[in-house]
Amino acid sequence: MASRKEGTGSTATSSSSTAGAAGKGKGKGGSGDSAVKQVQIDGLVVLKIIKHYQEEGQGTEVVQGVLLGLVVEDRLEITNCFPFPQHTEDDADFDEVQYQMEMMRSLRHVNIDHLHVGWYQSTYYGSFVTRALLDSQFSYQHAIEESVVLIYDPIKTAQGSLSLKAYRLTPKLMEVCKEKDFSPEALKKANITFEYMFEEVPIVIKNSHLINVLMWELEKKSAVADKHELLSLASSNHLGKNLQLLMDRVDEMSQDIVKYNTYMRNTSKQQQQKHQQRRQQENMQRQSRGEPPLPEEDLSKLFKPPQPPARMDSLLIAGQINTYCQNIKEFTAQNLGKLFMAQALQEYNN
Amino acid sequence: MSRFFTTGSDSESESSLSGEELVTKPVGGNYGKQPLLLSEDEEDTKRVVRSAKDKRFEELTNLIRTIRNAMKIRDVTKCLEEFELLGKAYGKAKSIVDKEGVPRFYIRILADLEDYLNELWEDKEGKKKMNKNNAKALSTLRQKIRKYNRDFESHITSYKQNPEQSADEDAEKNEEDSEGSSDEDEDEDGVSAATFLKKKSEAPSGESRKFLKKMDDEDEDSEDSEDDEDWDTGSTSSDSDSEEEEGKQTALASRFLKKAPTTDEDKKAAEKKREDKAKKKHDRKSKRLDEEEEEDNEGGEWERVRGGVPLVKEKPKMFAKGTEITHAVVIKKLNEILQARGKKGTDRAAQIELLQLLVQIAAENNLGEGVIVKIKFNIIASLYDYNPNLATYMKPEMWGKCLDCINELMDILFANPNIFVGENILEESENLHNADQPLRVRGCILTLVERMDEEFTKIMQNTDPHSQEYVEHLKDEAQVCAIIERVQRYLEEKGTTEEVCRIYLLRILHTYYKFDYKAHQRQLTPPEGSSKSEQDQAENEGEDSAVLMERLCKYIYAKDRTDRIRTCAILCHIYHHALHSRWYQARDLMLMSHLQDNIQHADPPVQILYNRTMVQLGICAFRQGLTKDAHNALLDIQSSGRAKELLGQGLLLRSLQERNQEQEKVERRRQVPFHLHINLELLECVYLVSAMLLEIPYMAAHESDARRRMISKQFHHQLRVGERQPLLGPPESMREHVVAASKAMKMGDWKTCHSFIINEKMNGKVWDLFPEADKVRTMLVRKIQEESLRTYLFTYSSVYDSISMETLSDMFELDLPTVHSIISKMIINEELMASLDQPTQTVVMHRTEPTAQQNLALQLAEKLGSLVENNERVFDHKQGTYGGYFRDQKDGYRKNEGYMRRGGYRQQQSQTAY
Repeated sequence: MASRKEGTGSTATSSSSTAGAAGKGKGKGGSGDSAVKQVQIDGLVVLKIIKHYQEEGQGTEVVQGVLLGLVVEDRLEITNCFPFPQHTEDDADFDEVQYQMEMMRSLRHVNIDHLHVGWYQSTYYGSFVTRALLDSQFSYQHAIEESVVLIYDPIKTAQGSLSLKAYRLTPKLMEVCKEKDFSPEALKKANITFEYMFEEVPIVIKNSHLINVLMWELEKKSAVADKHELLSLASSNHLGKNLQLLMDRVDEMSQDIVKYNTYMRNTSKQQQQKHQQRRQQENMQRQSRGEPPLPEEDLSKLFKPPQPPARMDSLLIAGQINTYCQNIKEFTAQNLGKLFMAQALQEYNN
Repeated sequence: MSRFFTTGSDSESESSLSGEELVTKPVGGNYGKQPLLLSEDEEDTKRVVRSAKDKRFEELTNLIRTIRNAMKIRDVTKCLEEFELLGKAYGKAKSIVDKEGVPRFYIRILADLEDYLNELWEDKEGKKKMNKNNAKALSTLRQKIRKYNRDFESHITSYKQNPEQSADEDAEKNEEDSEGSSDEDEDEDGVSAATFLKKKSEAPSGESRKFLKKMDDEDEDSEDSEDDEDWDTGSTSSDSDSEEEEGKQTALASRFLKKAPTTDEDKKAAEKKREDKAKKKHDRKSKRLDEEEEEDNEGGEWERVRGGVPLVKEKPKMFAKGTEITHAVVIKKLNEILQARGKKGTDRAAQIELLQLLVQIAAENNLGEGVIVKIKFNIIASLYDYNPNLATYMKPEMWGKCLDCINELMDILFANPNIFVGENILEESENLHNADQPLRVRGCILTLVERMDEEFTKIMQNTDPHSQEYVEHLKDEAQVCAIIERVQRYLEEKGTTEEVCRIYLLRILHTYYKFDYKAHQRQLTPPEGSSKSEQDQAENEGEDSAVLMERLCKYIYAKDRTDRIRTCAILCHIYHHALHSRWYQARDLMLMSHLQDNIQHADPPVQILYNRTMVQLGICAFRQGLTKDAHNALLDIQSSGRAKELLGQGLLLRSLQERNQEQEKVERRRQVPFHLHINLELLECVYLVSAMLLEIPYMAAHESDARRRMISKQFHHQLRVGERQPLLGPPESMREHVVAASKAMKMGDWKTCHSFIINEKMNGKVWDLFPEADKVRTMLVRKIQEESLRTYLFTYSSVYDSISMETLSDMFELDLPTVHSIISKMIINEELMASLDQPTQTVVMHRTEPTAQQNLALQLAEKLGSLVENNERVFDHKQGTYGGYFRDQKDGYRKNEGYMRRGGYRQQQSQTAY
């Protein structure tokens, strides 16, 4: 089905990603003037990513790799990629950086673009908004400003529509990450919410004309293309999984909130209670005796304020919940359409 | 020889023949030749009588000898080691040295050693050849000895001036401690043979003469003790316990006793030195004969107690001949014997024998029962004392003796009701012979019996339970029980309530775990009038153990004041009830006693008993078909995974590293003897089957419930283990059977389930162990049918619109009313959303079970609800408003949430259904 995509839309993006990219891309475009406005992916890269997952990833395991390409004006062109080798327990001393360098050197020898422009990762039901992803994308973007992360969803792809999305951290989030201060105040000051953590960059898949010609020819030769996955009505499993994951995140969110709640309570207790009152009383007495009042500012020195919980996690969870909701929304919308179609078909047959 | 003394003289092996000893003798390893064989009595003489001085000096001479040997082979390292030891030994002997003066042999070795070392030091050639260690040792030793010898400067110079005399003494010393090796010494010694000979002839001179003189004085006493030694040998003992008793008055003499005979021998030896060894030996023998004759003559003064045994030497002499055997004498003797008790080096076996003899004497002389009872008490006590270690158990012969003795004692006590026995009777107020007044003897029969019971347990613990030996030991149980019963009867007449309680508890402890087959039989076959055979009647004469337990326990409940006895009695009572399937009594007793609340404060043995009782209770509940109760009772024991340890039926291997030796010993002592064990496999099977009967329907009912709790973790664990298996063969072990059965039950397939739970293998392993195996099996089948039906309905109700009860009844081979009642129960408990259609006998499903998606959505809604709630709380903080508007609203929200749950639907539905 991936091939079908590339065949039909050599310049157009896949149906699902256009919708997301169009909506989001505009929204984010205004929010920050990032270096990259568009990502152009070579068909080869898409195929390599899909192949990589097919061969090595299964279940909840994710596969990762490096994207290579070049920057042309405000467009990032990804022309090649290579996978990270899968980690096993017994080669713990494997040097990844060494491997990457070696790989890139080798690729340069065969005259391939060797600019490191980002990385890709597969995902399980869209659960990719994690701390790990944030950290590594931050380090990428810190080193190479244009780099993006490509998220490939194999499950959705298997259902009939290629799901490949490019994300970047917003400049705001970059600043927060640079500061490494995730306290509630800092986040508040940075005015960052889960909606403004990642920005999606529109994707264009581009193939050479020769390949397009080949695709056309192949399409003509092949018998009926098996396109019916797109129309499959059996979808409860997918929805259930999504719900389950969503629920887990909601649980985490709840816990996080409880944590935050206790923190709030503790702080307010400390600020308001006893000590201040006592000090006030003392001052009153002193005043009545005609002595100068004691200073009030040594409060924070006396009591250490409780450690504020890092809010980044809850931000990430919120972002993840958002992604799930988007997924479910998208999915149910499509399914409703399918159901109506099926109903119409039924009536027509009768 | 003295080497053996220093190693302590407790072990029996040392009491063996002198020949053996000589074989083991060459410690230094340099004694190639077999030393001269010594005659027995000589050796004994030496061994028995040793003063502190001798002991110390012997130690020293031994060390010196080793040093000399080392010097000979030029092993300086060894020399150094030994020298250090020597210094220490000398330090120990200091007090004696202060009294006696520095022994010349000691000075001699010091001087010799110094000379030797100097010689070596000068010898550059030799030094070069020496290996590194030796060279190093040489320099160290040289320095050391220089420093050391400074203290003995004057002695050494005097020795050097007159080496002869010192050599003399040394030789004498050598003679004393080892006749045999002195011969070798003589050959090998650095001192020339000539000097040796000379000094031999001079032997009786000097100091030794002093001894001779002394000997004359002490002659009488020494003979006396020699006599003692003699019988000591006879009774195969090596220790000097009797010496300590008899020798009390001869303490002074004994200090010299060792010297006395040996100097005598020295003399002889000196005379005969030139003759060859064989001749010497011969001479010794003749001398020995002489001595024996002498002894015989002297023996005339003593009364020899033969006790019907012709061997004269076997038996020790108790009383002087002609002594009138009176109470006073016997008791004095008894006290004498008893004083040795508990002392180190006392031969306990000999003591027991002595006491037994004393009893015989007392009996022969008709001293009355009081004395005999008194002595018997002491015999039993010393039998218990025989093993110094708490962990070791009695030897069978001792055990037999002990049982006999207690029996005899009981005989006497029963025959003579006028004897009072008690712990509280003081020694002074004892009345052992005054026949006019009631006899009073100190001693506690109860303690003896309790101790005996402990010993019995120890024997059982230490016997391999799978051996014939165990069976043999177990036969003694009857005897133990009989004794306990007798003591019980005795104490019922005479004892205080506390004592009665204690003996009752003993009795209970020997009764509670036995299944009363006779009573069981009687229950099964109601009495059929007069047609009973005589044998049956005889069998029935014994009290039913239930009645017995009831009587004993009730007495303890009423009279006991110590908590422990009552607790034990209650637990045993419960156990007994449970064992005999009297579930309700057992349960009520358990609940009334409130033991479950405070058992953790009890000591470990009581806790073990408690665990055993709980387990038995659980098994009993299971037999009655009360799976839930069974499960609850067994949960604590089984969930820990340490059932073996908790029941005191074995130590866990994995905790071996965690505990040290001492703890392990303590734990080992707590173990329950094998014949009281509860079959662990049976226990686990009962638990797992109960868990299966509870868990499988529950799992089916709460298939999609996110908040499902596990009833039994262990059962789930077993299921998971079963699932993990890559290949599933037919079940082999009990667990596999249960897992396979559970799987079948999950599908509602009761027949397969049945065949897995009840089959040949499981019968052999588990079910046949129950007293009423068939009853249990039928109960189990029915349970399986019922629970399978429930599971089936839970699992497949979503598939049916309606189902006929007749079909169900056919499927599960249950009769219609049962099916009806089960389904009704399920409906009432809101487990099954259905209604019964009476006329057609069908179950109509309401189809209200939400689908998986719906379930998830519901759960999500719930979670979101709580999320919102939490969020609002955060908001509250920010706003600074507490409670108020939001709070109220929230409660309302939560109440409204209820409609989402099944209950709401059901109510609406059921209204429409009827």
